[in-house]
Amino acid sequence: MKSFEYFKVKTVAEAIDRLKENPDGSHILNGGTDLVLRMRENHLHPDRIIDIRGIEELKEIRFSKEEGLFVGACVPLGEMAHHKSVVEHYSLLADAAELVGSGQIRNVATMAGNLCNASPLADTATPALVLKAVMIVEGSNGEKEIPVNEFFKGVRRTALEKTDVVKGVRIPYEEGLQGSFQKASRRKDVDLSTVCASGVKIGDEYRFALGAVAPTPLRLPKVESFLKGKEINEDTIKQALDLIDDEISPIDDVRSTKEFRVHLAKTLVQRCLEQMA
Amino acid sequence: MKIKFTLNQEVIEHEVAPNKTLVNMLREDFDLTGAKEGCGGGECGSCTILFNGKPVTSCLMLGVQADGQEITTIEGLSQGNELDELQKTFISTGALQCGYCTPGMILTAKGLLSENPDPTREEIKTALSGNLCRCTGYKRIIEAVEQAAKHYR
Amino acid sequence: MKYVGQNVERVDGIKKVTGDLKYVDDMKLPRMLYAGVKRSPHAHAKILKIDTTLAEQHPGVKAVVTGKDFPKKAGLYLTDKTFFAVDKTRFTGEAVAAVAAETEEIAKEAAELIEVEYEVLPSLHDAKEAIKEDAPLIHPELGDYRVVPIFKPVPGTNISEHFKLRKGNVEDAFKKAHRIFEKEFYVPHIQHTPIENHVAIAQYDREKNLTVWASCQSPYAVRAALSDAFEVPFHKLRVISPAVGGGFGAKAGTTLEGIIIPLAMKLGNRPIKLTYNREDEFVSSYVRQALHSKFKTAVDKNGKILAVENEFIWDGGAFTEYGVNIAKSAGFAAVGPYDVENIHCDSYAVYTNNPVGGPYRGFGMAEIHFGIEQNMDHIAREMEMDPIELRRINAQKPGGTTATGAKVDAACGLEESLEAVVKEIDYHTPSEQPADPNKVRAKGIACGMKAPSMPNNAGSSAVVRINEDGSAFLSVSAQDLGQGSDTALSQIAAEGLQIPVEKITIKTGDTDHTPYEWQTVASRITYSTGNAIIKACEDVKRQLANLASRKLEVPEEELILDDEHVVWEKDASKKVPVRDLALGLQFEDGSGIHGPIIGRGSFVPEGVVNFDPETGLSEKPVVFWTYGAYGVEIEVDKQTGNIQVLKATTCFDVGKAINPELVKAQCEGAVVQGLGSAIFEEIIMKDGKFQNSNFADYKIPTSGDMPEMTIHIAENPQYDGPYGARGMAEPAMIPAAPSIVNAFYNATGIAMNKLPLTPERVVNALKEHNK
Repeated sequence: MKSFEYFKVKTVAEAIDRLKENPDGSHILNGGTDLVLRMRENHLHPDRIIDIRGIEELKEIRFSKEEGLFVGACVPLGEMAHHKSVVEHYSLLADAAELVGSGQIRNVATMAGNLCNASPLADTATPALVLKAVMIVEGSNGEKEIPVNEFFKGVRRTALEKTDVVKGVRIPYEEGLQGSFQKASRRKDVDLSTVCASGVKIGDEYRFALGAVAPTPLRLPKVESFLKGKEINEDTIKQALDLIDDEISPIDDVRSTKEFRVHLAKTLVQRCLEQMA
Repeated sequence: MKIKFTLNQEVIEHEVAPNKTLVNMLREDFDLTGAKEGCGGGECGSCTILFNGKPVTSCLMLGVQADGQEITTIEGLSQGNELDELQKTFISTGALQCGYCTPGMILTAKGLLSENPDPTREEIKTALSGNLCRCTGYKRIIEAVEQAAKHYR
Repeated sequence: MKYVGQNVERVDGIKKVTGDLKYVDDMKLPRMLYAGVKRSPHAHAKILKIDTTLAEQHPGVKAVVTGKDFPKKAGLYLTDKTFFAVDKTRFTGEAVAAVAAETEEIAKEAAELIEVEYEVLPSLHDAKEAIKEDAPLIHPELGDYRVVPIFKPVPGTNISEHFKLRKGNVEDAFKKAHRIFEKEFYVPHIQHTPIENHVAIAQYDREKNLTVWASCQSPYAVRAALSDAFEVPFHKLRVISPAVGGGFGAKAGTTLEGIIIPLAMKLGNRPIKLTYNREDEFVSSYVRQALHSKFKTAVDKNGKILAVENEFIWDGGAFTEYGVNIAKSAGFAAVGPYDVENIHCDSYAVYTNNPVGGPYRGFGMAEIHFGIEQNMDHIAREMEMDPIELRRINAQKPGGTTATGAKVDAACGLEESLEAVVKEIDYHTPSEQPADPNKVRAKGIACGMKAPSMPNNAGSSAVVRINEDGSAFLSVSAQDLGQGSDTALSQIAAEGLQIPVEKITIKTGDTDHTPYEWQTVASRITYSTGNAIIKACEDVKRQLANLASRKLEVPEEELILDDEHVVWEKDASKKVPVRDLALGLQFEDGSGIHGPIIGRGSFVPEGVVNFDPETGLSEKPVVFWTYGAYGVEIEVDKQTGNIQVLKATTCFDVGKAINPELVKAQCEGAVVQGLGSAIFEEIIMKDGKFQNSNFADYKIPTSGDMPEMTIHIAENPQYDGPYGARGMAEPAMIPAAPSIVNAFYNATGIAMNKLPLTPERVVNALKEHNK
């Protein structure tokens, strides 16, 4: 690993100041499980690292029906996955968080970090999309909110400015919501998703999102609008799944061919529907 | 970079370059070689140590991240010559062979039992799935954890 | 027996659970330097020029070497390899040059600064292409290489070994056949992935003593190879293996030691360390060779196999100094654990520009049994016979004849093992199906066998020293790789000496101090070193009895060892503590005789003879065969293609379990490692370049993949084994993959002739099948 300047900051404002001093050459250190790996492999050589793990306000996780769920940027995935309110009201998010990496990784990695990496297969991304999560961000012009469906711009690219700091993720509370998270991988534990899917049913409305089938995790608007208000039976399921072909653009890689990803995408959406039935 | 942290229950002041990983800091600066670098990618778990009581893969952390925290390595598990119960049950059930994954495996188990003193078999399997072992087939490791859990209770 | 057959706790447990044990990478020697290696990015290329100037000038660099410095070829059975590429590189990742520097970081940076000019050559990545007569030659000088005479390379081709087995008359048998079955199979390259990567330290002092610390299975073999390659005499070459974090064959032979020695020789007594990272481990150590196998089987109307004509084409990779023996061993196993009168087998080791093939647990047996055991189930189905009955009819039994014409002796527990697993998983009762209609369960079985594949005179030796307090030292050079040899061998010594295991300290792994051991491979250590230890203990007993008989005034022949004493068998009150005789016998007048008690034992298996070079036949080509069987139950998710092994049971005839829990632990590890090879593991290569040289994309089983396991042991004594023991560590893995694939057929009706059964392959096979 090349050497770098290291700053451990106590406030978000301090973090932004540090970022402003070298916007192109700076990188935020949160859990570090992705950053340190990429630095070790020489994919990244930041001039400076800004460690935000000392910022107390980012460690908060709280829930109320009025605000919904707020997960501070520094809350580890393991803690989030077992939090009473997450398990009770956002079980698909708990399921997804529990499947990121290993227990060791989950003790350090965070949902904010998982989303900011913007990997197409990020396991917490599809739940965030179907739950209509919002990124709470502090920028050089003050606080702003970025809905998660406007957050992912491309492979490992987000809507964040170079001097932005994500403070947390807020997920609204919706009464009567049912959800499902499905992950297809080569190995049962500790594996990257070959494809992952999230589904939410609320009233007669459906929301679906898929990961690892496009440059970013994405919603399935055609499938959603087709299923709205319809009875779920063998026929409607088949028609809904057929629409998936047009909504995704998977690739071949060392983990899978694109044809198999299409197959898995349909299988997982079907399983979401079955779990929510 | 100057850091101050608790290492195996002793408060330490130390100077470490920011670009040194936690596993290398422990191995090189403190000669605590129980944590091993088996893959450098957070996949094999042989670098596992306890970070504020929770198992983490130290190959993907920087030494500077230890500042203000509590680190326990395998060397800190026994009190002098007295082995921790997990260490005893690993031996008595035959849960180790080449021994390379063993320190990391024991610490992950320790982390599990301090949070969940009565885990099910499935919970043990899931907790340990971040520690790869090529020798044992895992069966005796799980038994060792179950037996130690009983004893702690 | 007091010690043998008991479940003694591991003698090396405490140092491993505390992290106190120092593996080679944990060692820090004073003034130690670090190596960085420049590797070839091409699978096959001429080296036109190497410019090391920038590296040499880089601050912190102390020495740089290239292949030109030591071009002498080395190799265990065939000297075809050099530690650095010399005139050309033959695989992606081959070492081309190396530097010694103050830190690992500097060494890596400096290695990058070495500039190499290549002329890329056409490369071969398919053994079936490389075997062709007109294929470009990877080793044009094959004819000049030194080779152990039992191997038959074909100069002017890429064939480095052609083993022929010609037994009986297959043509006649095919004419008489009721039915003939033809099948082809393929297993890809996989890697051992010991959790500890390869590592070595070398130091060359000014008296020209070379010391090497390495995580290696066979310090004496390393010594021999290095002595030959670097022309250092044995008495000035010390190899120490302090600890091995998993071997599985990857750490047999030599891999990276030869990279640091040329550097060490330029460093004025400074030690230099090279540690492989995980990527190096995948790309530049050993891999298990890929295999194309073909079977043509003739069967009579009752299911008796009349003849087998088969062909094994091994993808040996860039160097086959070790791989030639895998081809040969597979050849004389040929048909698996079945008594077949007529066999025509050709087994070829073929050079390709793929990573270097080497010994992997099973040494060819797992690879060929993938085909053999699926073939058996296939034949059974076609003949509408029970697969168990088909195996019973053909199974090796005492009095039978092996593929090479050797007699099968009474210690063949194949049928017993088969019955044990059939009963344990209740094979004939179909699986209970899960509630989820997308999932299906089924059972499968497979048999297997293996013999140690080693030179006929592979030797072991042991030295036992009695201390003045009655404790003992046991010195051997058998390496505990995790399999538990330190413990089992201590138990054998304890039994021979009648001194408790806790009072014996075992010393291993130092060619200066512990006596010769051919290699810790081949599942041979309990058998071979065990026998050497028994002899050493007998030597001790003779000396003790001689002295005690003079002291007690009773005949030597009537003295036995018991409970740390030499005892007169006619009157147990007449005895002498062993410790009183440790330094010899002292008489009442003060004079003494004999001096310190040191026992030695050497063992070489007897009567193992070469096979006929034209027919491959031999009356005793190996010391023993170990037979056994697996039964598994699996669950297939038909939509995602994921397979879970729910249950596994194994039974192997180990002759005598020196330590039953250690034997079972080996079997448990073998099940899980075998499961990995069946459903996860595959080296994905593109033009010889690894695409998945990391654990993110080369998946091995975790605790979450572990099946419920029940391990059985059969014990039909090995007539010349220590207390009847024979080797089992490799045999224990062999039937794993075929049992799972056979279960897959039973679940889905699909025969998969390639490994691994990845989710994608499973789903595609199901789709094809349902059309």
